[in-house]
Amino acid sequence: MKDPSRLYRWMLLLTSLVALGFLLAAAVRENLLAEWQQRQREYRKLLAEKATDTRGRELLRNFRIELRQVSVPALGAVDRCVSCHVGIDDPRMTDVPQPYRLHPVEILEHHPVDRYGCTICHQGQGAATNFHEAKAEDAYWDYPLLPRELTQASCMTCHDANRLPPQDVALVLEGMQLYEQKSCGSCHKLGGRGGALGPALDNEGQKTKHQLVLTNLKPPYTTWRWHQAHFRDPAGIVPGSQMKNPTVTEREALALTAYMLSLRQRDVPESYLAPDKIAQKFRALSPRPLPAEQLYRMYCFACHGDGTYGRWEKTFQRFLPAIRGTLAATATREYLETQIAQGRPGTQMPPWHLQAGGLLPEEITALVDYLRASPAAWTARGSAARSAPVARGDATRGQMLFLRNCAGCHGVAGVGGVAPELANPVFLRAADDSFLATTIRNGRAATAMPAFQRPDGAGLSEAEIADIIAFLRSLAPPSQQTTQAQEKSRAGGSP
Amino acid sequence: MRTAATPPEKTSATQEFLDNLRQLPRNLKDAWFRLGRLPESEREESQATFHNLFLHLHSVRVHLRTLEPSLTLGLGLMATFSFLVLVVTGLLLMIYYKPSTALAYQSMKDIHYVVATGRFIRNIHRWAAHIMVIAVFAHMARVFFTASYKKPREFNWLVGLGLLVLTLALSFTGYLLPYDQLAYWATTIGANIANSPRELTDALGITPYFDPGGFQKRLLLGANTVGEDSLIRFYVLHVFILPLLLVILLSVHFWRIRKDGGLARPEDPAGGLAEWGGKLHRVFEPLATKTYGLMAVVRGRRPPVNRGPEGTVMSWPHLLWAELAVLMLTIAVTLALSFYIDAPLKEIANPAVPENPAKAPWYFLGLQELVSYSAFMGGLVIPTIAVIGLALIPFLDRRPGGEGIWFGMPGERDVAWQSLLFGLACTVGLLAFTVNFGWLRNWFPEIHQLWIIAINPGSILVLLFAGWSLWVLKRKDSVRLAAVALFTCFLVGFVVLTYFATVHRGPNWQFYWRPSQWPVH
Amino acid sequence: MPDTHDVKPSRLEPPPVTRRSFLSIASLVSFLAAMGTALAGVLRLPKPTVEPGPVRRYKVGHPEQFPVGAETLFAEQNFLVRRDAAGVYAISTTCTHLGCAVARTAEGFACPCHGSKFAANGRVLAGPAPRPLPWLEISRAADGQLVVYVDREVPEGTHFQA
Repeated sequence: MKDPSRLYRWMLLLTSLVALGFLLAAAVRENLLAEWQQRQREYRKLLAEKATDTRGRELLRNFRIELRQVSVPALGAVDRCVSCHVGIDDPRMTDVPQPYRLHPVEILEHHPVDRYGCTICHQGQGAATNFHEAKAEDAYWDYPLLPRELTQASCMTCHDANRLPPQDVALVLEGMQLYEQKSCGSCHKLGGRGGALGPALDNEGQKTKHQLVLTNLKPPYTTWRWHQAHFRDPAGIVPGSQMKNPTVTEREALALTAYMLSLRQRDVPESYLAPDKIAQKFRALSPRPLPAEQLYRMYCFACHGDGTYGRWEKTFQRFLPAIRGTLAATATREYLETQIAQGRPGTQMPPWHLQAGGLLPEEITALVDYLRASPAAWTARGSAARSAPVARGDATRGQMLFLRNCAGCHGVAGVGGVAPELANPVFLRAADDSFLATTIRNGRAATAMPAFQRPDGAGLSEAEIADIIAFLRSLAPPSQQTTQAQEKSRAGGSP
Repeated sequence: MRTAATPPEKTSATQEFLDNLRQLPRNLKDAWFRLGRLPESEREESQATFHNLFLHLHSVRVHLRTLEPSLTLGLGLMATFSFLVLVVTGLLLMIYYKPSTALAYQSMKDIHYVVATGRFIRNIHRWAAHIMVIAVFAHMARVFFTASYKKPREFNWLVGLGLLVLTLALSFTGYLLPYDQLAYWATTIGANIANSPRELTDALGITPYFDPGGFQKRLLLGANTVGEDSLIRFYVLHVFILPLLLVILLSVHFWRIRKDGGLARPEDPAGGLAEWGGKLHRVFEPLATKTYGLMAVVRGRRPPVNRGPEGTVMSWPHLLWAELAVLMLTIAVTLALSFYIDAPLKEIANPAVPENPAKAPWYFLGLQELVSYSAFMGGLVIPTIAVIGLALIPFLDRRPGGEGIWFGMPGERDVAWQSLLFGLACTVGLLAFTVNFGWLRNWFPEIHQLWIIAINPGSILVLLFAGWSLWVLKRKDSVRLAAVALFTCFLVGFVVLTYFATVHRGPNWQFYWRPSQWPVH
Repeated sequence: MPDTHDVKPSRLEPPPVTRRSFLSIASLVSFLAAMGTALAGVLRLPKPTVEPGPVRRYKVGHPEQFPVGAETLFAEQNFLVRRDAAGVYAISTTCTHLGCAVARTAEGFACPCHGSKFAANGRVLAGPAPRPLPWLEISRAADGQLVVYVDREVPEGTHFQA
C-alpha cells in the first residue's frame, strides 16, 4: 500500500524551498539592493576620487554605509533625505551629479540641517528611503517634493516675502503682484479681506491634491500642476467654474502658483519664525488703510473693470453696472457707501464691511471719494439734472408703468433679471427718491439702463416717474416703508 | 540511572562532578529529547505523541481518511497556522507600533522604511490576515458540505462560528491601527453600521428614549467620531482581548475534535469491514478476547500493533508530516504574496478629506453593498439572521448520514448546483436591476424610511433564498437538502456581493465596469 | 521488527513505517532551513537601525559669555563648559560607570550612585568608573554661538579656539 504521508513530505519539501527562496530574496532585496545603499556606495567612490589630501582621506576612512536621518521633533519631521544626499555639506561636491551635490551654502548656513530638516522647505516624504517614494508624486503622501523653482514658496512659512532678498523669492513676489493686478481679491479672501464668490485662499498651499478637482488634469497629479493648468483655464479644469480666466502666460501662471503654494497656515514653533514674520502677523491684526486706487484695483476691478462702462457678464447672466460717472454723480454718498458696505443681496456684489469683505470704514469712504472723483466729462450729464419728483405718485399706477417699462430687465415686481433686483431692502433703504428719479429720467450712462425721459420732456412724465417710485417703495418690507412711500400702496401693489 | 556496568568502587565526589561535567552535553540532550533519537517502533511513536504537550492534542492513531487531502483541503489547519503567523508578526510589530493618533502613522512609516525587515513583516501580517479570513470561511463551507456538523459535533460547529466572528473582529480592529485614510474611513463606516439601529429608531421616533445604535457606536469608538479613544480601544481589542478569546475558543475547538472522535467520517461498516483501496478488508478478527488497549501501547498477540485496525495509521509521523506541509504551504503562500505586494498605507488620516470611495475591509464589502440600500437591514439584521441561521443548522438537521463525505446525501450535489445557479441569478439580477433602475427612494422620494428598511434588495434576497429553500424542503422532502440550498445561496450571495462591491463600485458608490474607469478624485 | 510485519489477507494492509528516507530528511532540512532564515529575519527586527531622537546639539551662547576661568553647568543637558587660557572646552557630567549625573565638588566631580570620583579635568580619582568623563566636541554655529555636541567625544585636552 502507498505511504499515506509521502505526498505531504513532497509538499513540505517544495513549500519549504519556496519559502526559503522568498526569505532569501527578501533579505537580499532589503540588505544589499536598497536604493540608499547603492547611492552611498556610489558616493564612497566619489569620496575616494576626491581623497587627495589628509582631510579627504580621513573623510573617506570615516565614511560608513548606514541609514542617516535628521530628526526634528519641533517640526514633526524625520527626514532621511540625507541617506542619499550625503554630500550636501561637503564643499568639494560641486561638480558631481545629484543626489550627491553640495546644497547652496548660504542657505544651509542659516538653516542648519540638524535644526530644520529638509521637508520644511522642500516638502516630499522625508521618511522614505527611496527616491520614488520620497518624491511622492504618485505615492500616498499629501505633500510631494516641490519642484526646484517652487521651493521658494516654503520660505513664507517663516518669513515675510517682502523682507527677503527679492532675487531669492522673485517668483512669489511676481505672483503677489499678479494677484493684486488681476484683482483676485474681488472674489477671494486672503487674511479676511476680499470677496465671497470664490473660496478663501489663506491655506491654499496646504491643500492636498484630494481637495482639488483632478478630473480634467493629466497625471502626474500635483497641486502645482493643477494650479498652473487652472490659472491658464479655470473652467477647463473645474467644469462649471465661475472663475474669470485671468489670462496669464505660462510664466505668470507659475508665479501665481508659487504664490498660492506660499499661503500656508502651518503652525511652526515660534522659535522658527523670522522676526519679520511675527511683525507681519502683528500688522495683520491692525491693518492700515490702503489708498483707494489700490483698493479699487484689488477688490473691484475684476467685475467692474475701470468702472466706466457697464457690461454683460455671461457667467452671471446679468449686467454689471458702470459705477463711475452717472452713478457716482447721481447717488448720495450714503447710498454708495451702503452699497459697498452691505453689498447687493440677490446679485454677485458681496458686502465689504469689516466683518464681511474686511474693508475698514475709512477705506470704504475713500473708495466712494475715488469713484466720485471721476473726470468731469463722465459726470457732466448726470449731475446737472439731479432732482426729486415734485409730486407723490400712486403705486397702483406705478405697477402698471413698471410692468410696461421696467419689468423686462428688472423682473416682474422688481425681483431682478438681467438687471439688478430693485425690490431689495438694502437698495431701497439706501436709494433716495431723487436718485431714483434722476436715474429713471436720464438713464445710466454707459450701461444698459436707458433714459426714460428725453431732454425735451418726451417719454415718462414726472408724475409717472413718481408713480413708479411709489411702486418701488411699496416693494420694501413693511417695517421699512417710510412716509416717503404712499401709505395706501399696500392695497395696490405689494407682491 | 543505574546500569550493570557501574564499577563497584566508589568514585570521589570530585571525580563524579568532573564526569557529570563531561557528560553535560549528552545529558542535556537526553533531558530535552527523552528518547534520544527518532521513534522506531509504534510504541515509541505513540509515546512521542502523547508525551509531548503540543503533540498530545492529537490522538495516537489517525484514520486514513483524515489524511486524504480532498476531505479537508487543510483549511482548518491553514486558518490556525495563519493565526500563528499573525501572532508572531503581530508581536514583532508591537515593538515599533505606537497606538496614538499623533504617532501611529509615523511609526508605520518607520516600520516601512527603517525597521529591519519591518515592511516585510507587516506585509506578512496583512496577507496572513487575509488568508486567515478566507481559510475560515472556506473551512466553514467545507464542514457544511461534508455534513461534519452533525451529531455529536453540533457544539463544535457553534465554537467554530464563534471563531469566525472573532476572526472578522480581529481583522476589523486591526484595520484602524495604521491610522491612515483607509483605516480612518473604513472604521468610520464600520462604526456607523453599528450605529444603524438608529435608522429604525429614528423612523419610529423613539431614538431619544431608546438608542441601541448610538450606544453600540459609542461603546466601540469611545466617542462620536474615530479618534484617540477609538484607537486605543481597537488596539486593546486587537492585541489582547480578541486574541485571548480566540486562543481559548481555538483550544476548545481542537479539544472537541478529539472528544467527538476525530474528523467526521462515515461509520466503518459493522462487523469490522472497511473499504480501502477499492476492496473490503476485515478490520477485526472476530475474536472474543479482543483487547485493543489504551492508545495502542499494549503489546500482545491480538490485536497486533502495526496492523492498522479501522484503517488508521500512526499520527507520528504521518499526521505530523501533513501538518508541517500545510504549515509550510501557508507560510510559503504568505511569503510569496508579501514579497510582491506591499500592504497598503495611504495618506495620514484626515477627517476633512473623505476617501472616495471609502470602502470597508473586503470581507465586509458584501455587507457594505447591502448597507448602501439600508444600513440597518444590511448592516445588522441580515448578518444577524445569517449568524443565527448558521448556528441553528446542526439543530434543525439532525438526521444522520453523509458525514465526512462531500455532498454525501443522494441528490445533494444536484441541489447544490441548482442553488448555486439560483443564488447567482437572484443576486446578479437584483444588482443589475438596482444599477439600472434604482430603488424605492429613486421612484418615491417622499417614501417613509420604514418602507426602505423593510423592502430593499437585501431583504428581498433573503426572502428569495428562504423561499427557494422551503421549496426544496417540500419538493425533496429532506431537511439536509433544504439546508444545502439555503447555505449555498447565502454563500453565493456573499461572494457575488463582495466581488461586486470590490470591483464594480467606485466613487460615490456608483457602478463602474472597471476600477480604471473611476474618475480621479 | 519483522515479526509484526507479516501480512495476513484478512487484515488491512498496514503502511510501512517510514524511516529516514531521503525525502524525509530533505524535507525536514529544508523546513528547518526556512524556519531558521525566518528566525534570523525576526531577530533582526528589534534592533533599531537609526537613532530615533534628534542630534543632541545645544547652542550654549556666544564665546564672550565664557570668560577665562569661568565654568557654566548645563544641568539638564549633562555637560559643563569651561574656558581657560587655551580655549573653550566641554566636559560631560554623565558618570562613565552606570550613567548617573555627577555632582560638582571641590576636588572635581562625585557620583552619588556608586561613589566614583573624578578630577576637575575628568580623570578618575576613585570608585568603579572605568574611564574619565569624556570631553565633548564644540563648534560654532552660523550666528556665532558655540554649539556643544553631546554625542561626539573629543580627546582630552582638545580646546576650541573661540
